Amino acid sequence: MKKLLVTTCLTVVAVAMASTSFAASYGAAGCGLGSVLFKDQPGPIQVVAATTNGISGNQTFGITSGTLNCGAPLYASNNQINNFVAENMDTLARDIAQGQGATLTAFAELLQIPAAEQGEFANKLQANFDKVFTSDQVVMADVIDNTVSVIN
Amino acid sequence: MVFRCRQKKGKVCGAPGAAYLFFITLSLFAAVATADAGAAEEVRSLSRERTWQVLMHYRQQGDRFTSLIDDPKFFLAPQGKTDPQAELNASLEALLLPVEIDDEHFRCRFPARAEWLISVYNLNDLALPQPHCGKLNETLTSVDPRSVVLVFPAAHNNGPASMFGHTLLRVGSSYKSPLLSAAVNYAANDTDSNGLLYAFKGIFGFYPGYFALLPYYEKLNDYSGVEHRDIWEYTLNLSPEESRRLMLHTWELQSISSDYYFFDENCSFMLLFLLEAARPELRLAQEYWERRSFWVIPVDTIASIRRAGLITDVTYRPAQATRIRHRASLLNEQGRQRAFAVAMQQEPAHVPTLPQNSREEERQILDLAAEYVQYRYSRQELPAEEFRPQFLSILKVRSQLGPGEVDVEQIPTPEQPEAGHEAGRISFGGGNEGHGPFLELSWRPAYHDLLDPDEGYTQGAQINFFALKTRYRLDEEDFRLQSFRPVDILSLAPRDLFFQPISWKVNFGIERLRLADESEPLAFTLNTGGGLAWELPAKTLGYLMVEGQVNATDRLRENVEIGGGVSIGAISRLHPRWKAHLAASVLTYLPERHSHYRLLFDQNFKVTRLSGITIRTNWEERYHQSQLGATAAYNWYF
Repeated sequence: MKKLLVTTCLTVVAVAMASTSFAASYGAAGCGLGSVLFKDQPGPIQVVAATTNGISGNQTFGITSGTLNCGAPLYASNNQINNFVAENMDTLARDIAQGQGATLTAFAELLQIPAAEQGEFANKLQANFDKVFTSDQVVMADVIDNTVSVIN
Repeated sequence: MVFRCRQKKGKVCGAPGAAYLFFITLSLFAAVATADAGAAEEVRSLSRERTWQVLMHYRQQGDRFTSLIDDPKFFLAPQGKTDPQAELNASLEALLLPVEIDDEHFRCRFPARAEWLISVYNLNDLALPQPHCGKLNETLTSVDPRSVVLVFPAAHNNGPASMFGHTLLRVGSSYKSPLLSAAVNYAANDTDSNGLLYAFKGIFGFYPGYFALLPYYEKLNDYSGVEHRDIWEYTLNLSPEESRRLMLHTWELQSISSDYYFFDENCSFMLLFLLEAARPELRLAQEYWERRSFWVIPVDTIASIRRAGLITDVTYRPAQATRIRHRASLLNEQGRQRAFAVAMQQEPAHVPTLPQNSREEERQILDLAAEYVQYRYSRQELPAEEFRPQFLSILKVRSQLGPGEVDVEQIPTPEQPEAGHEAGRISFGGGNEGHGPFLELSWRPAYHDLLDPDEGYTQGAQINFFALKTRYRLDEEDFRLQSFRPVDILSLAPRDLFFQPISWKVNFGIERLRLADESEPLAFTLNTGGGLAWELPAKTLGYLMVEGQVNATDRLRENVEIGGGVSIGAISRLHPRWKAHLAASVLTYLPERHSHYRLLFDQNFKVTRLSGITIRTNWEERYHQSQLGATAAYNWYF
């Protein structure tokens, strides 16, 4: 079970959609940076959470769209995962509890879980629901980190 | 024009450090130097080329060109809005300008125009200025355009005004999950909360409209989770290259404003230009210009896009409220009651001793309860502090029950919105009423009547604009206006355990008012009401309403009368092609006290998608004089 840190690679991949001046102007407001490092290889999925660097990552349940205003890096891998989880936390929790759903599928894809292993991914998360969503105050960064530790 | 170009050419060539530009500029304008007239002709003919016309949003009327874009930032030539040729010259100059600020160079700011110019002039890209388009490249990398999907959020159940609809684009990436794609949305940048002001400014173009690019899940959460509108996704057959061109043109439109008109230059119309930019052979906007239609209805643009052969696939994405209704329909009454009780915290989610054979039912109950809690939170019926623990406690119990056996996501797909009748309707028929026989001609430009076939529309919803009715009385040989209603809205939203909407109606206009002396002058009328509706057996919707009406005409003793009363009715879909509406109402008027009793039975038979027959019968009593009436009419939808 080789755990490979691919920080540099991720940084390169993280070509962010730097706050474009599109009309829906997003301020650079608190977006978490739950840092996920992963490597695809045959067999069990290897995903390691390095750290959440504590700056933010504090979005919890009950985020309705538009209130978050996470704009700057919209689509960079790390921030993409962060924003996705932050803005879809309620539905993600529901999908995980049910063991299926479009939001869970998208989450799996963001984490680069191969299609063939997404069923197992869903089962693991469902079985460990309370390890992922540890309390009703759980924040986005924890959800990502907890997911990563559950599936490893 | 050409002269101005040559002047500028000197400036370009004189720029320090741009030696390589010299050759390209020289070659480009060699023709200009030798044969002004020929070059001018070439620029003129290029400026008439389809791609240029599309990229600049020009509309040609005779010899005149006008761009639909109102923002001067979009044009490089001062008269660019009306002069395609000048704009092309100015763009060509800008393409050759040395780079000062990377992201602001023409190639970065207007990449679709730049690409086209390079290709039609057959320029050597490497010899041109090479700005580093950081922002553009980041956007292209992150959006990763591969495919394009047209998205249509359907009307929400109790808001007939939303029937008019909205369309946006979803730009698919190499991710499989649609949730991870980007949305391109054109919307008015409105800040007014005053509804009337909003409508006025929207209709007359006082709002600037902007394109916005945002994660698709954000739009999805808005429509599906907050506004509770089902979503239709139409996959378009644009290639990855065409999708990329669409993104490039979208980029050109960033922070460029156009006056937003609700009815014509609206979201759906503006999106047509993006599709044309992706594939310039398409002529989608032309149709709307040619028919001089009063407005562009979003669902019409779907039909145009379908006719252009762009649509390959349709996906239905039910809103949360739809999913809740569906989940509730899968359970028995006891199950629904328990789901509701769990959601409302009247019963615990956890059952200590759950027999094995009821696990699946319990899963479905908890799934429904969780969705309903989420729904209530989105409706702000639940504060965040209550929502979080309640939601999580249900999910926690649910997660322990394992995966479900039934795929409740498989919700039956209703008829597609564009499968319904066209929005305009013209009716011709005849009938008999107190005064004798008459012929009747009615016209309505939009949108949907309670009796019109429901396919593609919301059941129980009516929204008619500018409905005009005229009659020719056979015995008196008298042609006259019978009624004119600019607005006529009715929303019957059924109530059940989970949803308790208020049904409502409002209409106003002019219509014939039968007075005590049996004359029928035209009067201004305003009618509004609110009430409750329920789903009854046999595809029937029953309702009960309290309503008020104001009539005004100088033929009334006090010029105006005010009435109040109740109405009760049922609308039933007896057969997929046959609808019937039975209703009764009583309104009592003041100051000249009298009552107006009314009983009606209306039926509609669908003949084809674009035609039908309506038969109306009614009895009414006013000033103690009763009258029977009946009309039959043939309807064409257009």
